[in-house]
Parts: sequence; structure tokens; C-alpha cells
Amino acid sequence: MRNDPARHVLRPVLGSVVLFGLLVGGALAYTSTGGAARDDLVTQMLINAIVVTGIGVYVGNTGVMSFGHIGFGAIAGYTFAVLAISPERKAQIIPDAPFGLADVSLHPAMATLAAIGVTLVAAFIIGLGLTRSGARTGAISAAVITLALLFVVHEVARNWTDLTGGGRSGISFSLGNKLESRTWIYVLLFVSILVARLFRQTRVGRLAQAAREDDLAARAVGINPATQQMVALLLSVVIVAVGSALRVYVLGVITPRFFFFEYTLITLAMLIVGGRNSVTGALLGVVVMTIGLEGMRYAAGPDVNVAALDWLLRDGLTGIFLGGAMLGFMIFRSSGLLDDWELDTWLLRRRWRRRSVGSDTPPVAAESPPAQASSLAASDVTVDFGGFRALEGAHVGVEGDEVVGLIGPNGAGKTTLLNVIGGVVVPSSGRCIAAGRDLTGATPHVVARGGLVRTFQNLRLFGSLTTLENVEIAALVAERHRPGRAGPDAETLLRGVGLWELRERRARELDYGNARRLELARAAAARPDFLLLDEPTSGMSDAESLEMIHRVRTTAGAIGAGVLVIDHDLNFIIGICDRVYTLDQGKVIAVGTPAEIQANPLVQAAYLGSDAGRDRGGP
Amino acid sequence: MTELLQQLVDGIGRGSIYALLALGIAVIFGVMHLVNFAHGELITVSAYVSYALFTLGLDWWVLVPAILASSMLTALGIEFAAFRWVRNSSDFTMVLTSFGVHFVVQAIFVMAVSANRRTFARPGWLFETVSVGGVNLEIYDLVVIGFTLITLAGTVWLVRRTMFGMTLRAAAEDFEAARLMGVRSNRVIRGAFVLSGILAGVASIFWLMRTGQADPTAGLTPMLKGVLAALIGGLGSLGGAVLGGLALGLVEVLLISRLPDGLVGLTDGMVFVCIALLFVFRPQGMVTIRRAERV
Repeated sequence: MRNDPARHVLRPVLGSVVLFGLLVGGALAYTSTGGAARDDLVTQMLINAIVVTGIGVYVGNTGVMSFGHIGFGAIAGYTFAVLAISPERKAQIIPDAPFGLADVSLHPAMATLAAIGVTLVAAFIIGLGLTRSGARTGAISAAVITLALLFVVHEVARNWTDLTGGGRSGISFSLGNKLESRTWIYVLLFVSILVARLFRQTRVGRLAQAAREDDLAARAVGINPATQQMVALLLSVVIVAVGSALRVYVLGVITPRFFFFEYTLITLAMLIVGGRNSVTGALLGVVVMTIGLEGMRYAAGPDVNVAALDWLLRDGLTGIFLGGAMLGFMIFRSSGLLDDWELDTWLLRRRWRRRSVGSDTPPVAAESPPAQASSLAASDVTVDFGGFRALEGAHVGVEGDEVVGLIGPNGAGKTTLLNVIGGVVVPSSGRCIAAGRDLTGATPHVVARGGLVRTFQNLRLFGSLTTLENVEIAALVAERHRPGRAGPDAETLLRGVGLWELRERRARELDYGNARRLELARAAAARPDFLLLDEPTSGMSDAESLEMIHRVRTTAGAIGAGVLVIDHDLNFIIGICDRVYTLDQGKVIAVGTPAEIQANPLVQAAYLGSDAGRDRGGP
Repeated sequence: MTELLQQLVDGIGRGSIYALLALGIAVIFGVMHLVNFAHGELITVSAYVSYALFTLGLDWWVLVPAILASSMLTALGIEFAAFRWVRNSSDFTMVLTSFGVHFVVQAIFVMAVSANRRTFARPGWLFETVSVGGVNLEIYDLVVIGFTLITLAGTVWLVRRTMFGMTLRAAAEDFEAARLMGVRSNRVIRGAFVLSGILAGVASIFWLMRTGQADPTAGLTPMLKGVLAALIGGLGSLGGAVLGGLALGLVEVLLISRLPDGLVGLTDGMVFVCIALLFVFRPQGMVTIRRAERV
């Protein structure tokens, strides 16, 4: 986990060095045989690599769509240009610059820092907006908000002529020389790659990835995605700002067009072609798209004697390539060439595997923590969906580490009650108190941090993360937010549900039964006081259900948690529960031991119908 | 007073075109949850069809049906070539797909024709003004408003009274449930694209009558207006899209005539910011149709 520097620090650092070496080595090999045109191309490519890496830090880790990063780039680019150029030059092109900027002239490095600062402020505001709108993976609202930023920056840049030189001429200048800037590019590119790669392994980065995979599941183990998304946004914007300032510095000119739609789509295409979920992918995408676009330009004919037709043909071919690449990858391989494949993980995979397989100790029987003297009580819960009353004065309670079942026919309100407790549904009235804390109406991540962690009826795992990572993520949250609560480590939990051997498998590749077991282990890793299980055996055979009884008992026992479990499978409920609540049409109609419930005529009427001999209710 | 009246008519005329575009975008969003940033390509195609027919010496009377047909066929073609394959993908994938379509269509025209602007004759008589009770009105605005009303009436009839309209509404409400009730997803989605193509066709007739020019990015501005109007109306809502279009047209005309020169260029940006703010502060009210998600 965190105390594993080899995996989370050393390996990414090595990987970044190798990636940087490959990229720059290839670039140098290419320029060594060519003229100034090749130099320019490579310079552009390396700068694009910084920008795309930066965008990837946000889009890749959080999965939130952003069309606004180039808008941030424009803010950075203009700030840099306005601050860095000499007062004499300003007197020629923007003599009426506001705020006394006409007399300011900073060293390019200082101007870049200032650009980062200004861009960060803008990013923070946009970030708050995104959070407020509930930006989620791929949400439309995120696209609209970021697109709005891009357009507003563009229009301001075009119209605020005093500051920006307007739409046509923009700001042009000459600073430094190309060779000097190349050194800066190398340094900043390496730092960007390193930061982006390391970020993927940090706590914040990993939690953001979990939320990318499944927002609600992430909340349910106590992650508040807004925090991670904001950090990722700010970090990515810093890198984009650096790349944009460099771009302006090297080109010696900035106009609104330079940081608008076209550049947005080119950089996004680079990111998605390579694979937005990995740093290696982002860099590969930059290389592939650069080669492709240059190839198209070359195919369309030489630059000499640019007849009107030549130019147009070139534009057309590059446009076809760009659009075709986007379309092709979205249709056939939307995760890009590499998806989340990182070079370093692959290079050092053997070493890593061997070591962990070596530690094949028998499952450690976790010392049973002292029984928690806490209780969970939801009382008098009423929920209305429009005109439909899903729950009416329902209640349920769990004391200490007992196992409580919740049964009832379809539509009785079982899952709704669980959703109320878990913070997904806000009740019209009623209270929900756990371990002395009032959690009524609290959001899911607050509920999880308060010690109530749930599983879902329709499995919600972090699909593209490994089995082990799924459990580790929950443990990471618990480490921070449930410090007083000890619990077994990820290995013990996974061995407990029989998944240790599959720990390197992606969660989405697990079969159904294993996926359910993993959800149980993940919930337990969040060190809850109470586990809320929503139909843990649905779709399982009798034998599997029987085994699940055992798993739930040992897992809950290992962390000393009480359990509230919904199930249709009466055998399961009878086999596992100390007490059972029966819901019908939103009301609790009976509470008691399994034997009492079975004998209760009300329950038989509501739940089992007249056919009392049946042992399964519902489908 | 007369000036205000003139501006109102002007704004409603402008807004009618936006409404038709927004309606097409909303129809597609309803069945596919896709914000179609390639909607403007239908206008680009129409522009080149008009240009081609004009060079053949044909007049607007031929152009009108030709534009309708080509716009509809293009919509179907784009669905078949691109959007069909990303159904049920993430919003991310679908939006980028629509941008990909935008690029490819644009590049095709750059290669096949030219990146330079081509012009064709606008129907001059449309832009004469008539005086109604002291208010000078362009015939064009009246024609646009009239035909938009007819088109909207036709759409309302289609959506409310026909079997296809019912499946369309059902699919927009809950696609999976509609499928389980026997609605054929291929057919309803194809139908939605045909409808959006026809609506875009009507809009492009009016748009092109005014601009009289074709270039590879001809569709960009109308697409943007359509998307903005659809967003104002709350994406999947059809009535909202129409109101959004009218509102956008009116706001534009009123802002442009009142804002100081330096700020006129910011009109689109300001509208965009207002929409973004709506998303920030009322996210639940903006997207009226969501994929129902059970927990």
C-alpha cells in the first residue's frame, strides 16, 4: 500500500526517466539529420507533449470531460506574453494596456510563474463550478462549463484589444533564442512527465481514479470525489499553463486562434488516441498524431511554391486524419492505444510479481477487535417519490455486531430503506443515527466515514482497477477518515473471501460470484461499524449462497462490524441473521428471530403468499 | 416603440431558425443522450448543395426540396457511419465522435471543393421590406416565422399523434423500458435522425437564403446557436428547445442593438456563461431527461 515505495515512487520515477529518454532520444535522432524545419517540428511536439500530459492529469485520472484546458492555456499564454515582453514593444502593439501593464517587464521565468498563478485562480473558480454542478465521469455539465470557459476566453481575447492586441495581430515579440528555450523545454517536459506519472500513484490520484470508475461506489466507501477532482484540476492546469507559456515563448506570437477550438481538438485527439488513462499513452498519442499529421502534410506535397490549391489540399488531408483518428478510436477503441498501460509497470512487472507471490503465508486470522458498543438505528423513516409513498414510518436497528436481515416482497421498500441509511435517498421524515452520530440526510461519503459502508444490488466495482486495488482504495480512505478503527489489511481480507490469488486481475474481469465477494471485501476494508449488504447472494446458486453466509460472517467478525443485509434468499437470511425485519408496502410488519418470522402469519401472508412451504420469495 | 417592434420581429425571425436547429438537437439527445456537435454539418452540406445547383443554373424553387432531401440523407448517413457504432457509450465518447464527424465533413469539403468561400445568389425579393402600420418588416422574417410555425405544427402532430411520435417520446422517457415494450431501437433512432435532418433542412434553407455562401465551416455558427438554444431549453425537452431558440434570438437582437460596441463581440460568450451558471446552480433542472439509474 502506501508503505511500498518500490511500487509507488521508484517505479514511476524510473518509468518517467525512460519515457523522457525515449521521447527526447527519438527527437534528437530525428533532428540530427535534418534542418531547421525538423527542429521546429520537434520543438512543437515536445511542447505539445507537456500540454497533453497536463490535460491527461485531469481527464485521465478523473474521467471528467474537459474542453476548457486550452482556455486555461490561453489565459496563461496571454499573461505570459503581456508580462514578459519589453515596454518598448508594448508601446508599439498594446500602448493602452490597462492596470499599468504597459510598463511591466518580467523575466520569462517570473512571467511563467505569474501565468501559473493567474491560471490557477481561474481554474479554482471553474473547479468550484464543476463541483457544484456535480461533475461526474463524462457528464454533459462538465463539457458545457469547460466549453463556456474556452469560448469566453476566446471572445475576451478577441475583443479586449487594449490588453491582447485583438483577434488579428495579437501580441508578437522576440525573446531569447531557440537553443536556450530547448533546454527549458527538456527540463519542464521531464518535470511534467514525472509529476503526472507520480500523481497517478498518489493517494489523491488513486481515489480520483476510483471515482472515475464508479462515482457512487467511490462515495460509498467514503471518497468525496470533489476534493480529488479539484486537486487534479489544479495540478493539470499548472502543467498546461507551463506548456502554454512555453508555446508562446517559442512561437514569439499569440493570437486568440492559437488557443481555441483547433488546438483543443488536436490536443484532445492526441490524448485519446494514445490512451487518456496513462502517461505513456498521452505521450505515445502525441508522437503518433504528430507523425501522422506531418505525414499528411508531406503526402500533400512540398512547401515550395505554395499555390493556393496545395495549401488547401494539405489542410484537407490533415483534417481528414485528425477527424478520422478521433472517429476511429471512439468507435473501435475508445480507451486509446494503451488504455491505462504504463511502460514502467510493464518493464518491472516480473520483479514485482515474484516478490508478492513469495509471501504466500496462510491467511492470518485477524485478531477480533473489541466488540463495538455502537448501534445503528433508523427510525420512523418516510420516503415519497412524487405521489408514491415508498416507505411509511419504517424502522430498523442493529446492535453491536449482530447480523440483522431485512426481507419483504418486491417493492416493499427494502433497498429504499438501505438507500436512506446510505445517504443516497433523502427521506421526507425520519432519523438515522449510527454510533451516536445523526446521519440523517448526510451525503454518501459522510455516511461511509461515519462507519456505514454498503454494497450494491447491481454490483459496482472499480472496473478497470485490480482486485487488490479495489480493496486498497477503501483501506486508503479508512486510514485517513477512520483512524481510531483498526482492521485487517488488504491481503487478509482478500484471503478471507478467497480472492488473493486473483489480486492482479482487473475487477471487471471477475466472474459474478467473485465480483460479489470482492464488493464484500472492499466494503470491509473501509473499516465500517456496520456493513450494509444489498442482496449479496442474488443470482447465486444454493451452494454459493451457503458459502457466502460463511464469508459474510467471517468478514464481519474480522472487523467487528454489525451487518444489515437485504436478501430474497430466505435460506441465506435464516442461516445468517440474529434478527429479521419484514417490510411490506413500506411498513415494518414484523420483527423477530428467523424462527419467529417464519412462523409469523402476517409475514406468511405478505411475503410467502399462501404457499408457506416455499423457501424462496421473489424472483 | 416601432423600433422595439421591429427588433421583436427580427428577434423572433432569428430565433425561429435557432428553434428549428435546437429542436433537431433535442430530438437526438432524447433518444441517444448525445449532444450532437455535428448538427451544423447538415447546414454545411446544404450550403454546398445549394452552391452546386446554382452553378448549374437552377433557382431556389429547386433548391428548397433539394436541401431538405440532402439534409435528411446526410443526417441518416452520419448516423449510419458514426453514431450507430457508439450507441450506449459514455458521453465522453459520443461528444468526441460528433467532433470527429465535424472534422471529417469539413475536411472533405476542403479537399473536394476549396477552403475558400463560394457564394450564390440570395433571393432578393425576400429582403425587401413592407410597411405594416408604420413598422418596416422584412418579408424574410415573416416568411421564416410563417414556415417555422408550419414546421413546428407538423412536428407537434408527428410527435403527439403518430405511432412514430409515440415511440420517440417513449424512447426519450426511458429507452430500455421502451425497448422492452417492443420499440425497435434502430428504427426510432433512425427516425429521430431523419426528423432532425428535416428540421435542420428547413433551418438551413432560411440560413442560406440570408448568407448566400458556402464554406467548410458554414455550419459552425448555426450549430453553436442550436446547441446553446437546446441547452437553454433543457436538452431533451422539445418544447424547451423551441422556447430556448426564440429566447436566444430575441436576447441576441436586443443585446446587439443596446450593448456598447466593445461588448457586442461578447454576446455568445455571455450567453454561454449564463448557461454554464445555470448548470452550476440548477443542474437538476437543466437536463430534463436523464438516464434513470437504479441503485
